[in-house]
Amino acid sequence: MPSPSQLSPDDVASRLRARFGDDVSDVADQHGHAVATVTRERYHDVCRFVRDEPEFACDYADFTSAVDLGEERGFEVLTHLFSTAHHHNVRVRVAVPRDDAVLASVSDLWATCDWHERETAEMFGIRFEGHPMPVKLLLSEPFEGHPMRKDFSLMTREAKPWPGAVEGEEDEEA
Amino acid sequence: MGLITEKTQLTRIQPVKFILNWGRRYSLWVMNFGLACCAIEFIAASTAKNDFIRLGVIPTAHGPRQADLLVVAGTLTDKMAPALKRVYEQMPDPKYVISFGSCSNCGGPYWDSYSVTKGVDQIVPIDVYVPGCPPRPEALLHGILELQRKIKDEDIQEKFGAVTQPAVS
Repeated sequence: MPSPSQLSPDDVASRLRARFGDDVSDVADQHGHAVATVTRERYHDVCRFVRDEPEFACDYADFTSAVDLGEERGFEVLTHLFSTAHHHNVRVRVAVPRDDAVLASVSDLWATCDWHERETAEMFGIRFEGHPMPVKLLLSEPFEGHPMRKDFSLMTREAKPWPGAVEGEEDEEA
Repeated sequence: MGLITEKTQLTRIQPVKFILNWGRRYSLWVMNFGLACCAIEFIAASTAKNDFIRLGVIPTAHGPRQADLLVVAGTLTDKMAPALKRVYEQMPDPKYVISFGSCSNCGGPYWDSYSVTKGVDQIVPIDVYVPGCPPRPEALLHGILELQRKIKDEDIQEKFGAVTQPAVS
């Protein structure tokens, strides 16, 4: 039973649209979570708004991560936010181009995002502007490259191609 | 091994060699270098049901400096590899290493990963490989028996070639 103050994805959409207009291009409903696609310039503003606005009160950052969508579509950075007061989930999604992979850091809003952004930075090669300590988190210091990028070459696979079925080309299970 | 001096070649004397190796192979203080789910199987092998203590494997050494046997159980990453090397080098000779599970044998399911070491034998010498993902505790018992068979036939002088002198005729 949802609490009375819980915002539905539609409520999130109308409130973000009212505040940010076209900078919020899309608010989708994914399994009851609101997924707001915002412009890169307003990413930090949207995050601050969602945290400080009493109706949202997203005081808990679950994770920040990214998706590599390939050569043309670039990266997509996601920050999953949750309100411990209202029990609603809001995901902020922002497209980051490949040739200019820079995004404002939100680690000043949630300390959680500090490590998550460091991980995203080393894995995808996205620079988070304003991050207090932009160094590697998990990878060893001499590691070169960004292993979660689709164009990262795996040395083992250079020597021996993937022996199994390629994703999307598997035989259908009988 | 205080018994081996430059004057005596005790280990070449068959009964001495037998007793020496018999003593060594049934008193293996073990160090569990547990890195993943294989470490749980190792723990299962040490408890009452499988009980590798009856084979003379003693869990667990207080530290690598007190251990005779190192069991690398799990996924070794390149970042962790220096720590394994260090633990191995802290162990006193004679020392043995069992590579337990597919990950430590060859990388296992992470054979093409960017971060996993494909085979612990790149870092430390391995005496026995135990296959499986993860291997059952019985597999570790089998691995221990294999290791004990190796120790039984071992010529300690040959293994530690530093002590060399002409053979007694």
